[in-house]
Amino acid sequence: MLEAVHLTKHYNGVTALEDLTLRVNPGDVFCLLGANGAGKTTTINLFLNFVQPSSGTARINGLDVTEQSLETKKYLAYIPETVMLYKNLTGLENLEYFSALAGRSDCTRVQLLDFLKQVGLQPEAADQRVGTYSKGMRQKVGIAIALAKNARALLLDEPTSGLDPKAANEFSALLARLSQDGVAVLMATHDLFRAKESGTRVGIMRQGKLVRTLETTEVGHADLERIYLEHMHD
Amino acid sequence: MMFTIARKEVVETLRDGRFRALAILVLALSAASFAAGWRHYSDVQRQHLEAQEATRTQWLNQPAKNPHSAAHYGMYAFKPKSRLSLVDSGIDPYVGVAAWLEAHRQNEFRYRPAQDRTAIQRFGELTAAEAFLVVLPLFIVLASFTAFAGEREQGTLRQLLSLGVATRDLVAGKALGVAAALGLVIVPATIIGVAALAATTEFGGLRADVPRAAWLAVMYLIYFATIVAISLAVSAWARSPRTALVILLAFWFANSLIVTRAAADLAAWLHPTPSAIEFQTAMERELSNQEEMRVRLDRRREELMRRYNVSSMDAVPINFSGISLQEGEERANEVFDRHYGGLFERYESQNRAFQWAGLAAPMLPVRSLSMALAGTDFAHHREFVTAAEEYRRGIQRVMNDDIARNSKPGAAYTAGAALWAEVPEFRYELPGVSWAMRQAAPSVGLLLAWCVAACWLAARATRRLGVV
Repeated sequence: MLEAVHLTKHYNGVTALEDLTLRVNPGDVFCLLGANGAGKTTTINLFLNFVQPSSGTARINGLDVTEQSLETKKYLAYIPETVMLYKNLTGLENLEYFSALAGRSDCTRVQLLDFLKQVGLQPEAADQRVGTYSKGMRQKVGIAIALAKNARALLLDEPTSGLDPKAANEFSALLARLSQDGVAVLMATHDLFRAKESGTRVGIMRQGKLVRTLETTEVGHADLERIYLEHMHD
Repeated sequence: MMFTIARKEVVETLRDGRFRALAILVLALSAASFAAGWRHYSDVQRQHLEAQEATRTQWLNQPAKNPHSAAHYGMYAFKPKSRLSLVDSGIDPYVGVAAWLEAHRQNEFRYRPAQDRTAIQRFGELTAAEAFLVVLPLFIVLASFTAFAGEREQGTLRQLLSLGVATRDLVAGKALGVAAALGLVIVPATIIGVAALAATTEFGGLRADVPRAAWLAVMYLIYFATIVAISLAVSAWARSPRTALVILLAFWFANSLIVTRAAADLAAWLHPTPSAIEFQTAMERELSNQEEMRVRLDRRREELMRRYNVSSMDAVPINFSGISLQEGEERANEVFDRHYGGLFERYESQNRAFQWAGLAAPMLPVRSLSMALAGTDFAHHREFVTAAEEYRRGIQRVMNDDIARNSKPGAAYTAGAALWAEVPEFRYELPGVSWAMRQAAPSVGLLLAWCVAACWLAARATRRLGVV
């Protein structure tokens, strides 16, 4: 579903991503681990076609994102570290707007409220303006947008950082559900525990390179941490 | 999709308290300016009608006297105020409202309203045109500077573009949203304006002014579209909303406050006009050339003797003093035509320079058009001055012909009411809208060029919306 082939990005001579090749199949949850500046966000920006690759290609559902930018985004949902919404609109209005722009202007109020319920937003919050929302609530609206869009691939950029453990746990549960439904997930994260819990595979990145890929079923949590730290040290 | 985006923009804008306050302020301002314009127009028009009637009555009620004395007695020509001057008073406050029509002289227009003003009022008056052309663009800037720069800073632009929204739809939706918000101010303001116009029907039907008003509205809308497109282009291009706001405010300030003054100064510098004294002195010098007059009168005498086939002026059956007076008029008219014509050509050159300065800012062409359509620009003033002068020359011809035909040399002669009534009443109709548009044709072209260029700029600036 998501595919990077020899994907490389330089910014003014600095290499942000070097020769990344990876595949995320439907149902896969691929977690990119690494320090800040390791190239995780660059990878996601390349899939979103927000930045142009220096070489290589990123494909979504077999389509090159630079050539068919709008078409590839139909399959995609993106949840950043903090989902950004319009403060002056309510949660429901934000969801309605974004899903309409994603091509789901047919959603009824009941359906939209149902999406918000599925992601665990308190029912009374739906009609409150987003200006009053906590970060966890915003993230939930972000997932609701992905649900409404019926996205086949999910790009997540540290979506749980700064969430309290309960909210992070709920988030992981939703992710697991989406993965069961056959959504391909690419998630950048710092959270080894979450990566092990939610991911099917993890990739460790360092200075723009993918240095190690592991199946999460193959390693325990302690092993993952050890391997990660090994790669960070040398 | 475009409508979804536009609707959300409007909802967001309406929920913004600052916007509501600003909208009410702008609306109050245009209502006040229309009210002031309406009052001023009605007062002046009423005075105008009274004065016109008074001068006519005075003329008709002259006692029996020599027609040349009547010509010296003269009358006033009052410049009628165009109805749309209540929208844009143009140069009306700076040019006179009346001219004294008398024998031998083409007088300048006197009684300039601006002369009676205090220094502070000279900064300009609040007309509806000022509210529309200066204040509304500020409103547009404030309503649209965040369009892209704000969403970029908030992070919602990433969210939008990740959904696969085509930038073309986004730009169209944003433009429509700003237009709709603007409509919330423009529509009520226009209704107030139409009401102000409709409240002046005591001075005649509105029908004649409809084409002018409609074209005025079209020109204003093109101007607003230009400002919206420029604002969106800057918002798409600027890294932060703060940068966008600073750039747009600088543009607004230059466009509405600096450029008009600078263009007027530039035009005056390129085509300087003589001072009033220089102008009068030069004209007097030519008028006082007696030698030329003597030659012309001799030629006239010969013509007359040939025409009546006689060998002495005593045998000519008409009074030569009438002919001589008329010859004096004809000669003076040539001098007036040359001098006033030259002066007016200078003003026209200044106007053309001002119009072409419209390449520098969209305010200049729209200002020229606004005045032209309101009937308050220089072209309209010149048209009226020419008509008044034609009328003055007509009076002289009637008086002098009467002297030539009916009086005897050496004998006292008086004429009465019948002759005074031979001079028709002075009536002046504002030229039609097509005439006004022809005069302002370069401005129409420039305004359209600005609009197209601004739209192109917006399309270009938004083609690749950077999210980072």
